[in-house]
Amino acid sequence: MSDYSPTILQGQQTNDDEILAKTPLDAKALGGDSSVVIMELLQRFKVRDVMKRQVLSIPRKATLREAQRILRENHISGLPVSEDGRLYGIISVNDIINGLDHGWMDDTVDMHMASSLVVLEAGMPISFALRYFNNYTYGRFPVLDSNRQLVGIISQRDVMRALLYELSVEIRKLERKTADKVAQPAPPSETHFFRREWAVVHNDLTGAGRAANEIKQLLREKKVDRSVARRIAVAAYELEINICIHSHGGVLVMVISDNAVTITAKDRGPGIPDIEWACRDGTSTANDWIRSLGFGAGMGLSNSKRVADFFEIESEVGKFTKVTCAFNLKKLEAPAGGTAS
Amino acid sequence: MTIADVVKVLNGKLMAGDGTSPRVVGAVVANDLMSDVLLTDADDVLLLTSLASDQAIRTAHIVGAVGVVIHNAKPLSETMIKVANDLGIPLVSSPLSKYDACVKMHDAFLAEARG
Ligand SMILES: Nc1ncnc2c1ncn2[C@@H]1O[C@H](COP(=O)(O)OP(=O)(O)O)[C@@H](O)[C@H]1O
Ligand SMILES: [Mg+2]
Repeated sequence: MSDYSPTILQGQQTNDDEILAKTPLDAKALGGDSSVVIMELLQRFKVRDVMKRQVLSIPRKATLREAQRILRENHISGLPVSEDGRLYGIISVNDIINGLDHGWMDDTVDMHMASSLVVLEAGMPISFALRYFNNYTYGRFPVLDSNRQLVGIISQRDVMRALLYELSVEIRKLERKTADKVAQPAPPSETHFFRREWAVVHNDLTGAGRAANEIKQLLREKKVDRSVARRIAVAAYELEINICIHSHGGVLVMVISDNAVTITAKDRGPGIPDIEWACRDGTSTANDWIRSLGFGAGMGLSNSKRVADFFEIESEVGKFTKVTCAFNLKKLEAPAGGTAS
Repeated sequence: MTIADVVKVLNGKLMAGDGTSPRVVGAVVANDLMSDVLLTDADDVLLLTSLASDQAIRTAHIVGAVGVVIHNAKPLSETMIKVANDLGIPLVSSPLSKYDACVKMHDAFLAEARG
């Protein structure tokens, strides 16, 4: 059996001025501080902050046909070939098209994958990623950690989305600063907006819970009240575990606005036939394997509902399940005239 | 009682995290069901469990636990130790059974209260 080892081309230190020159954003137009802000963002943001942590992958001895199915079912155009976290190559839609053309669909993926790969490291600043997207034609790069293990994948869209969110926040801060200088009244409410998304993979129990732990840490950094942060993290954890053990995979999303935090868990099915039954305390379809991991007592949905200020669940069998939990960050005013005597 | 005291009381061994943490144990939660642990409202929890998995550590982090004790000297995986170090959760292995560990903790709390 051939022991594939891909040629991995690795980045060198990059010059951020060059990237700024190439970014379509006219930094000067935003005022004096803005180019500093953008530079700072490009350095502060690391590849690991914006990459997708899935990572769907396929072993070397899988066939092109299996690869085709995974690409199609997940609506993706490239799939890492990896085993035990080690990256061997990437198989793309192009390779599949070639395979169909030449009748290679029953060949193994290692015969036709690209094995000369350009990769990024999780700890690199986002400026590296931008540079790479500029210099290469690839739409996405695999991300390795310092132990050369495959930990994620990053696309141009991931980078742009994250930067746009952060930029809008920073620009608003700048605007406010400018407004203060000319002594205008401050806007009535600061709609600070933060959004982050985590991919949750079916049956990936080493990864399960990681998003919830990160959510807890983020909330601490953002100085969210400790007991509220704990309730948010509890819901996030239960919902993340549910996606992992009951669904084909999905995403966990956290949005922080001025006065609320929303956790949304959405997956790609199989859906819940009887929502009322599933939300009851103690009802579960979990198996022994799930129970051996400390879950599966049928308390996840009811726990999430209990800790949240707002709870909603939607599901369509064969399609999706979506659970939304929202949490007030500000104490609610007591309703007028509602005091008991 | 700090995590260093817990190690002594339970005849245990610190496997990960900071053994000199000044945090004081406020309550002991002895449970193998993580959904139950997530349900508790107690602060400064010490999680005593036989669930030797990453999930025990991750759950402890969610509830802001002071530390995790795995009883019956259940073998700990490398990833579990790594997760504990990454999340800064002191992880202790104790040879005692769940029951004995609870009794020891209870006695230690009483002794502490008496001064
Ligand atoms: N995302 C999901 N997709 C499909 N089924 C789900 C999902 N989440 C929950 N369920 C169903 O609802 C039941 C109850 O969920 P939960 O209260 O979290 O308990 P548990 O996960 O311990 O079984 C599960 O056993 C499962 O049948
Ligand atoms: Mg559950």
